[in-house]
Amino acid sequence: MKKRRNKDTAVSYLWSAPSLLLIALMVVFPILYTGYVSLTNMNVYHWFDFTIVGIDNYIRALFVFDSGFLSALLATLLWTVINMALQLVIAFVLASLLNNQKLRLRKLYKTLLMFPWAMPGYVSILLWKTGMFNTQFGLFNQWMEKAGLAAARWLSNNVSAFLCCTLVNLWLALPFMIMIMDGAMQSIDKSYYESALLDGANWTERTRYITIPAIRPIIAPAVIITIFTTFKQFDVVYLLTQQAGAKTGSGFHTILTYAYENAFVTNNYGYSSAISIIIFILLIVFSARYQLREEGDE
Amino acid sequence: MKKIISLLLCLCLCLGLAACGGRADPGDAKKLTIWHDKEDAVVAALSDYLSEAVPDLEIVFEKKTSLTDSLKLVGNDPTAAPDLFIFAHDKIGVFAEMGILTPITELVEEGRLEDYLPMTLEAAAYKGEVYQLPLYFETLLFMYNRRYMQDDEVPATTGELLQYATDNTGRGRYGFVEQHSTAYYSAAWIHGFGGSIIDQDGVPFPDPQAVKDALAYHLKFVALMPGETEYSTVNTLFLEGKADATIGGPWLVPSARDAGIDLGIAPMPTVDETGKALAPYSGVQGIHVLKFAAENKKEAVQELLDALTAPSVGIDLALASGCAPANALCYDDPRVANDELVQAMRGTAEIAVPMPNIPEMDVMWTVVGNLLTDVNLSGKDVESSFSSAMDKAEELIEAMG
Repeated sequence: MKKRRNKDTAVSYLWSAPSLLLIALMVVFPILYTGYVSLTNMNVYHWFDFTIVGIDNYIRALFVFDSGFLSALLATLLWTVINMALQLVIAFVLASLLNNQKLRLRKLYKTLLMFPWAMPGYVSILLWKTGMFNTQFGLFNQWMEKAGLAAARWLSNNVSAFLCCTLVNLWLALPFMIMIMDGAMQSIDKSYYESALLDGANWTERTRYITIPAIRPIIAPAVIITIFTTFKQFDVVYLLTQQAGAKTGSGFHTILTYAYENAFVTNNYGYSSAISIIIFILLIVFSARYQLREEGDE
Repeated sequence: MKKIISLLLCLCLCLGLAACGGRADPGDAKKLTIWHDKEDAVVAALSDYLSEAVPDLEIVFEKKTSLTDSLKLVGNDPTAAPDLFIFAHDKIGVFAEMGILTPITELVEEGRLEDYLPMTLEAAAYKGEVYQLPLYFETLLFMYNRRYMQDDEVPATTGELLQYATDNTGRGRYGFVEQHSTAYYSAAWIHGFGGSIIDQDGVPFPDPQAVKDALAYHLKFVALMPGETEYSTVNTLFLEGKADATIGGPWLVPSARDAGIDLGIAPMPTVDETGKALAPYSGVQGIHVLKFAAENKKEAVQELLDALTAPSVGIDLALASGCAPANALCYDDPRVANDELVQAMRGTAEIAVPMPNIPEMDVMWTVVGNLLTDVNLSGKDVESSFSSAMDKAEELIEAMG
C-alpha cells in the first residue's frame, strides 16, 4: 500500500515536472541570478568578465537609500493604502450592484467593466496621458474650457499627479477586484439572506454579518496579489509622469521609479541587482507581516 | 485520452522551452546577419544596393525594436548575436567597453574614409578608434509653417525668435514650440551658450556657468510654450497649424508634407549674447562590426564595408528616405544637391555636435531631463537645481564603475 502511495506521489511530481520547471525558470531562476549578479562587479566595464566582489554593492546601495528613497518609500506606502482602500470599496459597491437580481443587462455591464483589463496596460496608460490629461488636447481640459475655467496641468505637481495616477491605477485594477468579489458574492448561499430578511435585518446588517464575512476568505488572496502589484507599481507612475523625454514636473516617485532613476540608468548591473534584492526583501517582509496578520485573524 | 493530451501538452511545453535557445549555428562565411531598428525605406534601399554590389554575399536584415538591450544580452554569443548592426553612434562607448565591437579601421582600406564629413567620423570615434562606418546622419532643424511665418520673418537670432513668439502666442496658438524640457533638444541651447552636457573625459557640465545661463535664458521661451514637452504634443501642435515654428528632426518632414504644410527650413538662430548658433546634437547612423564576425568572417565583412563606402549607397539612401549621407561625395549628385531637407542637414552638420558616445552619457540623459523638469516645469531656482543635478551626475557616474 505504501509502495503504491509512493508511486502515486512520484507520478504526480512527474506530471507536474514541466510546469514546475517552467516556474523555476521564469520565477526562481531570475531571483537567484539577480542575487548572484548583486555579488559581482557586472557593469559596462566588466560586462562579460565580471568577478565576485562580495557585499560591496550592498554597501553602496545603502547610499541610494537616502532621504529621496525614504520619501519614495512613504509615498509608496500611502499609494498602496489609498489604492487598496479605494479598490475594495468601489469593487464591493459595484459587485453588490451587479449581484442585484433586479438589475437588467447585468452581463453587458460585467463585460464593460472587464474592458480595461482586456487592453494592454501600456496602451491604456498612454491613452489616459494623451487623451485625458494632456493640457492641449485632453478631454479634461476641454471640459474645463467648456465650463469657462482655465486649462490645468494635471500631471505637473505631486498631489495632482498622485491623484491622476491613482485614477488610472483604479481603472486598470478594478476589473480584477470586481470579478473576484462578484464571484465570491455569487458563491454565498442565498438562504442566509432569506433567514436574515425574515429576522428583519436591513441591507447594512446583511452586508456586515453575511456578505463581508463570507467573501473575506475568498478575496484574501486577490487582496494580497493586488497589494503586491500596487506596491511595486512602475508602469503607471513612470509612463504618466516620469518617462524620459516626457516628464511632467511631478516629483512623485514610487520606490521602483526612484530606484530606476538612481541606479538602473547606470548600466551597473551588480549595483542595480543589489538594490533590486533589497526591495525584494522589503516586499517579502511586507507580505510576511500581512500573511501573519491574516492567519492571526483566522 | 487524457494521458495522450497531457503528453502532447508536455511535449509542446518542452518544445517551447527548447525554442528559447539561440541560433544553433553562427552560419557560413558568406552569410552576414545585420540587426537594425530602421524604417523600411532605409533597409529596402540598403538591401537593393547590396544585392547588386555584393551578389556573392547573403545579407540578412533583422529588425530589432530593443536592439541595444538584445546586444547587451547576447553580444558575445556568436550563436545568438548578429554579425553587424546598424544603429546611432551614441552607444559606441558602451559596446566598445563591453568588448563586443571591432574598430572598422582594421577592416576598411586606408583612404576610404577620407571623403566622409569630419563630424561623422568624429562621432564614430571612441578612445582614438573608429568603431562605426557612418552611413547617414540626422540633426534637428529649424522648421516653420509658411502660412503663418513668412520667409522674411524667419528669425536670425534668438532675440528675434523670442520677439516673434511673444507677438504670435495666445488664444490657443503658439509662435514657436519645441520639446523644451528634453535633454536632446535643450543641448542646442546649452551649446549656443558655449556649454556642454559632458566632455570627452566624462566630466559633467564642464562649463557650469554656460549651462546656467542657457537655462535662465531659455526660460523666457518656456513661458511661451505649452506645459507638455513630449514629442506627440509638440509635433501635433505644429502639424495641426497651431504653432508657427518648431525645432524638429527630419522625421517630422514627411508628416508635415502629408499634413499639407508649406514647410520652410532655415538655419538655426544665433544666440545674441554669445554670437553662436543653437547647435543641436547630431546622430550618426552607421554599421558596427561585432568581434566574432571580424575574426571569423573577415573577408565577407571587408567586402560589405567596402561596398558601403561607395557614394552611391548614400545617394540611394538620400533619395529613398531623405537621409543626409555621411560621405561628402554624395552631395555632388545633382538630385541630392537639390534636396532642400538634405542640404539643410548638411548645413547644420557644420555646427552640429555629435551626441557624446561615452558610456557616461547614458546617465546624463536622466540628469539633464530632471534638471530641465525642475527649472522649466516645477519652477525651481536655476542655481540650486543645477547644483543638485551636478551632484547627482557625479554620483551616478561614480556608481557606473
